[in-house]
Amino acid sequence: MQRFTELVVAAVLLAGLYATMAYGLGLIYGVLRVVNLNHGGIIMAGAYVGWLLHEKFGIDPYLSIPAVVAVSFVLGIAIYRGLVRHLPRGPAGAVQSLLLLFGVWLVLRNAAYLLFTGNDQTIRTEYSTRSVAAFGLALSVNRVAVFGIAVLTLVVLHLFLTRTFTGKAIRAVAQNADSCTLVGVDVERIYSLTFGIGTALAGLAGLLGASLFSFNPSYGSGDLLKSFVIVVLGGLGSVMGTAAAALILALVEVFAILALPSYLTGAVGFVLLVLVLVLRPGGLFGHRVLG
Amino acid sequence: MKLLPHWVSRPALAALVAALAIGAVLPKVLGWSVYSQNQVTETLLFVAAALAWNWMGGYLGQVSFGHSAMFGLGGFISARLLLALHLPFWIAWIVGGLVAAGYALVWGHPTLRLRGPYFSIATIGVGEATRLVMTYWEDLTGGSSGLSLPITPGLKSELYWWALALMGAVIAGSYALRKSTLGLGLLAIKSDVDAAADVGISPTLMQDIVLLLSGFTVGVCGAFYASYQNFIEPGDMFGFDRSISFVLMAVIGGVGTIIGPAFGAVVFVMLRQYLIGSYPQLYLGIYGVLLIVVILFEPLGMMGLFFRIARRFGLLRPEVEATLEAKAAVGGAAADPGAREGGAP
Amino acid sequence: MTPTTRILTAAALSLGAATLRIGAAQAAQNTIKIGATLPLTGAEARIGGFYKEGYEYAFEQQNKEGGVKVGDKTMKVELQLLDDTSTQSTAQSLADRLINSDKVNFLLGTYATNLVEAQSAIVEQNQMLYVNGGGAASAIYKRGYKWVFGLLAPVELLADSMMKWIDEQQKAGKLPKPAKIALLWENTSHGKDFRKGVSEFAKKSGGGYEVVVDESFELNGKDFSALLGKVKAANVDLFLSDSHLPDYITMQRQYVTSGMCHKILSYGARGSEKQAAEALGRKNVEYILSAVWWSPLLGQKNEIAKEFVAGFKAKHGREPEWYQAMGFETARALFTAIEQAGTLDKAKVREKLVVMKLPSLLPGGELTFPAEFGQQSHAPFVVQQNQPDGSAPIIAPADAATGKGVAPNPNCGK
Repeated sequence: MQRFTELVVAAVLLAGLYATMAYGLGLIYGVLRVVNLNHGGIIMAGAYVGWLLHEKFGIDPYLSIPAVVAVSFVLGIAIYRGLVRHLPRGPAGAVQSLLLLFGVWLVLRNAAYLLFTGNDQTIRTEYSTRSVAAFGLALSVNRVAVFGIAVLTLVVLHLFLTRTFTGKAIRAVAQNADSCTLVGVDVERIYSLTFGIGTALAGLAGLLGASLFSFNPSYGSGDLLKSFVIVVLGGLGSVMGTAAAALILALVEVFAILALPSYLTGAVGFVLLVLVLVLRPGGLFGHRVLG
Repeated sequence: MKLLPHWVSRPALAALVAALAIGAVLPKVLGWSVYSQNQVTETLLFVAAALAWNWMGGYLGQVSFGHSAMFGLGGFISARLLLALHLPFWIAWIVGGLVAAGYALVWGHPTLRLRGPYFSIATIGVGEATRLVMTYWEDLTGGSSGLSLPITPGLKSELYWWALALMGAVIAGSYALRKSTLGLGLLAIKSDVDAAADVGISPTLMQDIVLLLSGFTVGVCGAFYASYQNFIEPGDMFGFDRSISFVLMAVIGGVGTIIGPAFGAVVFVMLRQYLIGSYPQLYLGIYGVLLIVVILFEPLGMMGLFFRIARRFGLLRPEVEATLEAKAAVGGAAADPGAREGGAP
Repeated sequence: MTPTTRILTAAALSLGAATLRIGAAQAAQNTIKIGATLPLTGAEARIGGFYKEGYEYAFEQQNKEGGVKVGDKTMKVELQLLDDTSTQSTAQSLADRLINSDKVNFLLGTYATNLVEAQSAIVEQNQMLYVNGGGAASAIYKRGYKWVFGLLAPVELLADSMMKWIDEQQKAGKLPKPAKIALLWENTSHGKDFRKGVSEFAKKSGGGYEVVVDESFELNGKDFSALLGKVKAANVDLFLSDSHLPDYITMQRQYVTSGMCHKILSYGARGSEKQAAEALGRKNVEYILSAVWWSPLLGQKNEIAKEFVAGFKAKHGREPEWYQAMGFETARALFTAIEQAGTLDKAKVREKLVVMKLPSLLPGGELTFPAEFGQQSHAPFVVQQNQPDGSAPIIAPADAATGKGVAPNPNCGK
């Protein structure tokens, strides 16, 4: 029973991070119909920015959240305005934007290599190995903090999308961009903003991940795939849906260790992705709206 | 003479044969060193692989990020056969290709129902899952230790002519695929799958055929690579970087033409060789930039750039360029289920 | 002729023309050109850099003495070092280039078993002499290759050396009998060999040890918490893992956070690295057992090691670890073989390596390449243990020991 609780708690804590990570991807897809294949690159960038601030200025990773989020947001807007905006909207542009953002990811990866070398880095603080006691278990302080921040972020996001004008405008554009222009919403501005927010969320997820795991320029590719699984499973936009899907994925991953050799638990996410995509092709997309 | 199907253009066939003949004597004529010959062998191999990838990515319009699965499978099956039995290596290659084709069908048939970006994402999943499972499957791949093939002296230089033949076959195949009825059907599917079905083209059958052909060829390329390197390991053969390389070669070269991916492959291998001594980490970044530039400015890839220049100098008839444009658009008008232009549900 | 076909022919011709420029001319032979690749970037970059230091130091020292005597001429040695970026295909391509384009006389090895394994296929194909101190898996040397020589003893021997010391503790009553083992190994040749060494020792012990958890993990994994959870649930006495440095740090961090503590804790060849102590905090690496191919502490009893440590320290301002030592010794072995052969003829130099018995800084004091092990050195390992004062004395074998080890782990049961 103890073991079971341990696994469930581990899954729940992990799910928080996963949900934050996936939401950014889902948001960009839901509104712009663009698959952000650079998602992994931004996650990696967020990790490195946080690490850099910690190494050079001694700023605690959790305190550097505003800076990392701001930088990622600006980067997202720049990528949108500079590159993505020029591609055609809709189905014809889908694969093109996918490839374009993939190119951006390659460039980011290479830049990280040149700046920081390929060595694994970690953010070590004096509480990195501390744990708190809860539910009769020893929980890593970092994991609890990451979970808390993730939940807070998702709540803020939900409120933003449902209570503010801009938030509602974003949801409206996801539903029907043409009609939005008719009622005076600046659709281009919304696209920019959404891309920025999606990128900011990825950057945040990267920073949070960096406080838990070690990372190098290739960091983020595994997270990219997990994000896809969650987005496809949970549908677009609904924060509850994303959270639920994140929890499912985390539970499957964590419990897989009981049945599979630890080595293969990584494949679980991918197999789940392919299964879901094949069994529910396209059905989850486009029929849900943000909210 | 009715030996050839009507869509085969005599001049094109002659040009191909001429090019192959020239290629066959080049090593002797130019007095290449062992190293140069090896480099060209590798280049020819990847030309073949990029062209085969392009049958799915360019002709059918389904961009696959998971082709390393077939490359690796072909390589390991062939290697295992050569280690267990004493077969002529090309038989092992063919068996490797067949198994790879079968595997392609297994994951490809259901996934090709997906359009555009969803298919691409699914292929990432397939590629990575295959890599993990194969790295674990020691009996087949030797696990992370990889497989060492017995060393046959003199084989490596002989492989040059095999690579030439392989590339020639794949070019001929590309041409056939493009010009034949099958090729026209693919073009129709790429443009509008529903309309194509309406006029009696069976998308699933045609897709499966292309899947098998592409999978088989890439599998054979993997088997060739194993014989060439004498040592293969799952991390490299099934790696994401390997899958990416096919995409980059074809897209940057230009997916719409036969020559595009070939050219992209040549540039890719040469660039890598050039940078490998001095700035080894840089080539992926350079390719990223090229990819961005191609997508934004010249969807026809580097071949498209050449055609533009050729037209400027009056070497190209405008209607030829127009046909190329139609065939070239990366991704085609892949339908996005549930969403039309503008994002309405 | 359509434009397509026109371009087809043009491409074929330009292909030929472009490749004309590949292939270097051959310079006159005044220096001995020795080629090598090392992972200077990529996953193994840190250690690749250390091997580079070892190689460069060896070349410097040799050239300071005038060079290598080849018959009646004394020639300088020149290192042509390329970066294989820790990838197999690059290592192979570069080997091909060094051999066939740059036409080096000999090759020194790269670091990391999978890279050495890949590269060795190319050197054997080309019949190029390859001396390496970076590939430890015995699989490399079981292929019947004639041109590959290895200085790193196999990892099975590493596991065996450690188990021998643990066995002594068990015989002295300090560890329970039978002792339950959790065996975690990275899914590479290195890890598999470690696992083999431990499992075989356990089997031969006739009930002294029981391997209760036997799991592999992917290299450069991020999250070992599920795996560690499994270990925790199994209630074992000995935690034996084998991993590379980044995984060691990640896993140990998660190990400490989960509150585990075992009577014996080891990460194979890892343990005493300063970087780990910095990343984890000294308290969290206490009493970790490790077995390595070489330690600077050997300088206390071995003259060649002492000279090497002093010279290296004078140049770099810090003590060398086993990476630099192996790099240095590998190059030195090649230089010695060339001198002994008196010629640059590969086959003759190779013969000298086959029968070599070189006084060496390695544990045991002698370097040989026994044919029965496929020309892989089987010099013994030194077992070390991290002590609370930050030192990591050699606790085995007895003739090299500089301190006493502690078992069971005093930090447990607190």
